[in-house]
Amino acid sequence: MNMPHPPIIETKDLTIRFGGHLAVDHVSLQIPPFTFKSIIGPNGAGKTTFFNMISGQYRPTEGKVFLKGKDVTSLSPAIRTQLGIGRSFQLTNVFLSLTVLENVRLAIQSQKDIGFNFWKNYLSFSELENQAYEILKMVLLDTKWNVPASGLTHGEQRKLEIAILLALETEVLLLDEPTAGMALEEVPSILELLKQIKNRRDKTILLVEHKMDVLMALSDSIAVLHEGRLIADDTPEAVSKNREVQEAYFGGGRARG
Amino acid sequence: MNPVQQFRLEEKGVRFRNPYFFLRILLLAFFVFTPFMFRSFEVLDVVLKIIIFSALVASYDVILGYTGIVSLGHVLYFGIGCYSVGIFMGNLGWISYGHLALAFLIAIAVSGILSVLIGLFSLRIRAIFFAMVTLAFMEFAFILSSQLRSITGGDDGISFKLPGILAVDYSIGHFLGIELTGRILSYFLILLICMILFLFMLRFVHSPVGRVLQSIRDNEPRSIALGYRTYLFQVIASSFASCVAAVAGACFAIWVRYVSPDSSLSVSIMLDVLLMVIVGGMGTLYGGIFGAAFLMVTRAFLPKLQVLVGSILPGVPMAARLSERWLFYFGLLFIIIVYFFPKGIVGTVQEFFSKRRTS
Ligand SMILES: Nc1ncnc2c1ncn2[C@@H]1O[C@H](COP(=O)(O)OP(=O)(O)OP(=O)(O)O)[C@@H](O)[C@H]1O
Ligand SMILES: [Mg+2]
Repeated sequence: MNMPHPPIIETKDLTIRFGGHLAVDHVSLQIPPFTFKSIIGPNGAGKTTFFNMISGQYRPTEGKVFLKGKDVTSLSPAIRTQLGIGRSFQLTNVFLSLTVLENVRLAIQSQKDIGFNFWKNYLSFSELENQAYEILKMVLLDTKWNVPASGLTHGEQRKLEIAILLALETEVLLLDEPTAGMALEEVPSILELLKQIKNRRDKTILLVEHKMDVLMALSDSIAVLHEGRLIADDTPEAVSKNREVQEAYFGGGRARG
Repeated sequence: MNPVQQFRLEEKGVRFRNPYFFLRILLLAFFVFTPFMFRSFEVLDVVLKIIIFSALVASYDVILGYTGIVSLGHVLYFGIGCYSVGIFMGNLGWISYGHLALAFLIAIAVSGILSVLIGLFSLRIRAIFFAMVTLAFMEFAFILSSQLRSITGGDDGISFKLPGILAVDYSIGHFLGIELTGRILSYFLILLICMILFLFMLRFVHSPVGRVLQSIRDNEPRSIALGYRTYLFQVIASSFASCVAAVAGACFAIWVRYVSPDSSLSVSIMLDVLLMVIVGGMGTLYGGIFGAAFLMVTRAFLPKLQVLVGSILPGVPMAARLSERWLFYFGLLFIIIVYFFPKGIVGTVQEFFSKRRTS
């Protein structure tokens, strides 16, 4: 095997404790750049919590997070996003009173150098709205661009969540169950989108999903969390044959989706 | 051209034809012609205070309605504006245009610096902390202003004269049937300044920063996750609003030619501002005008109800007794407005029209 690139994201003994409960327990993971890694595990395994520590919403009790070799453990989520870790949320997390387009435009704006401009009209930066509209097309939300996000269905809000993440254009994309709660007929278009992003090979993707067929087709590798511990980290084939994984995930805990 | 560009173009096309534009012109015309329409000083005084408080309330709305942070000490900056003019004109006796302009600049600078410091120190911590710290600073300033007799005149305050055309005894002659006195000229100067403040605030809330502020109000954690250091944006919003409040305060001092702790720095003014922003509607800016008008007009004229009722229904003691309790009617009116206009007057009307347009 050829030497892989140095990892873009690396966690070392990442641990978090809520009261007496170890939600994530010494997880060390390396993610090579431009790869697609999925994270699976039964409900409550600690997947979302693990994401929260990578993107900075939670501070670990113990352990470290590295981005391109730089220790980012003590940096705020805002700084981490600026450094290249983008995040979508399992529980829809959008700006409800703003329009769909504005939700996406704000994500684009944060990556431009106009953040602190308070003397020009925001519409004079019209290319931002155009870019936002293009992204809405990708997730099939373009017809709803002028609707407040509160007026979207749950499934549409999930698509908006993805659009916001894509608009950030970060090198690392953390996707927490992007298709959960979406109408079934909409799921393939989102998966197609993920596949396109993957095939461009210019982003590193971390995906939490419960739909096994999705994972098998898309992932370069799959990490399995169980009760906060990393019990496997391997190719999709190897993981699906792993005894411990089968017991923990496919056998014991019922998978959703 | 995509539908968004199309929409924006159409929006631009009707910019000078939509009802809001006419409303704005109408409002401005009303304020411009007030001195010519109403000869009584009392009316002019109420209208001018509406103008000043519109700017003050709108600046408070930038913090509360657009950014979602609660300050309980916003009037502190209003007071700084008042005292800056008062100290220069009255205490120091430097009565000249240059010194008046300097008083404005110093008020802006002091307010800007102080609000940045308070913001940096207290916005990082929880929201309620900012509310408490701002309130504490306002109280502290109130006590200072009543204790530092040699500078502020203590509880008695400072009365002062203004330079040149703003002086009370100045007059250029007659125009459209009224005498253009220093008072009338002050009125127009203040109207002009407040209009400029409004334009600044409109620009501010429609700027890239303004949009981030609205995202913070909606969902701060998400805004942070987008990469915005929200607390810096909150500091910017609060110091911008503070500078506006300081200018409004300086205008107020020009109008009343007198400053005292009670008239410029008290908690009761803060309560007025809160009532005005609730009545007018948060997150609309224009709400400030209607909120201020509601409070100022009812305050000025409800007490007169008694006289009015007495003259219409002489010899009906029941009516006279009922009309005595103007504060009670004020409270009742307030409750009715809050009940029927849950988003304030402007907010609710806007919502009504945007619903009609989409349906
Ligand atoms: N802020 C918190 N405070 C206390 N406990 C928490 C907190 N966040 C997560 N937990 C606990 O940590 C454990 C892991 O939760 P997490 O949300 O990471 O699971 P998950 O793998 O994402 O599950 P799911 O598939 O249901 O999304 C759970 O037991 C949860 O109750
Ligand atoms: Mg989860």
